[in-house]
Amino acid sequence: MLVNLDPRDARPLYLQIMDEVRRALVVGTLRPEDPLPSVRELAADLAINPRTVSQAYGELEREGIVYVRRGQGTFVAPDARPDREALGRAVAKRALLEARRNGLGAEELVAIIREVAAGEEDREPSRAAANQGERE
Amino acid sequence: MSTQSIPGEGWAVATHALCKRYGRETVLDGVGLRVPEGAVYVLAGANGAGKSTTLRVLMNLARPDAGRAEVFGMDTGLRGPEVRARIGYVPEHHDHGYGWMTCGRLLRHVARYYPAWNQSYADHLARALDVRLDRTVGSLSKGGARRLQLVLAMAHRPPLLLLDEPTDGLDPVVRSRTLGLLAEHLADTPTTVLVSTHLIYEVESLADHVGVLREGRLVAQLSRDELRRTVRRYRAEVPEGWKAPPGLEVMRTRRSGREVQWTALGDEREVTERLSMAGAQVREVSPLALEEAALAFLTGEVTQ
Repeated sequence: MLVNLDPRDARPLYLQIMDEVRRALVVGTLRPEDPLPSVRELAADLAINPRTVSQAYGELEREGIVYVRRGQGTFVAPDARPDREALGRAVAKRALLEARRNGLGAEELVAIIREVAAGEEDREPSRAAANQGERE
Repeated sequence: MSTQSIPGEGWAVATHALCKRYGRETVLDGVGLRVPEGAVYVLAGANGAGKSTTLRVLMNLARPDAGRAEVFGMDTGLRGPEVRARIGYVPEHHDHGYGWMTCGRLLRHVARYYPAWNQSYADHLARALDVRLDRTVGSLSKGGARRLQLVLAMAHRPPLLLLDEPTDGLDPVVRSRTLGLLAEHLADTPTTVLVSTHLIYEVESLADHVGVLREGRLVAQLSRDELRRTVRRYRAEVPEGWKAPPGLEVMRTRRSGREVQWTALGDEREVTERLSMAGAQVREVSPLALEEAALAFLTGEVTQ
């Protein structure tokens, strides 16, 4: 799993790390019993405060997504399920925020998203099919 | 280590009404710094705001005209050597005064002053920061001298790092490597870091506390979480000829026609409510990056 942080994202860094782990679970780059990078590794890699990484891992542990094996590090919980809904809600929140900033209402945005998605499926049938497959 | 209870417990650094004058110029004016143990505290401010003087007082290299400073509860003026033994210091200036020595020899020389000096860690840092041990100190470039100073400051894993513009003179590659090394250092050793800089974004990802010095006065001092909660940007549409309601702690206003943007202090709901009651339609509220928030304190009228 690779963690990317967006410096322009105004959310706290630990939340961004948590979302990256959730995302990796959904797309399959992280699976049950996989190790997460150590706090030290990830902190050095991203040049961020190790406490921030610990905070993210701690929250994920509380949510049952990861667990700590003493002396070995942090691992994805055996029963961790990719939470498409939570991830989707986060995407929706970001989209709504951006919509409001642009003076668009939720209903308006949803209608437009449907319209745009339909247009994309017409133009790129193969891509639409791939998206379908992901859902299984 | 002594077990007696110390004043200033919990603070790695505490200063009390610190004042410093150079001739007629007041450099520090009643500064009350509080750096919690284990924090990465960014001291921000324009050039000449008093950042370096503050660090020099903590090192007992400058004497305050009034007030006092404590490091781990020890008065810096009374227990200078003990205080300095617990500090890794990267000074403002790059000149070391050991120009004739090779870097390797200087490392061995400095090592003798610190019982906790770890030679293999020093070697690791020197390699990572590309410090050429056979070069003489005097022949180093500005960036080269900085890298050497970083090795000297970190190699004895002191409980407190005082870094005065640590990335000054470093190229972008070395800068990011330095921040990575610092992150690794923090993961391995419990350390308090007090870093002064006017380039906040460079250390933003490591910082968890911030203090803002303006013309010798500490105009803000808060944790990053507090900063996120209390400093926000509000963007709203207002009717023509609209006037802002009184009582808002606004640090910065930008206005163009019907659109207004405030950087304001306070509880988001209260501020939004107050703006809405006055007829503004708030479209967007966003927290600020550390740099932007500090900048608002640097340029704004509100102090905290």
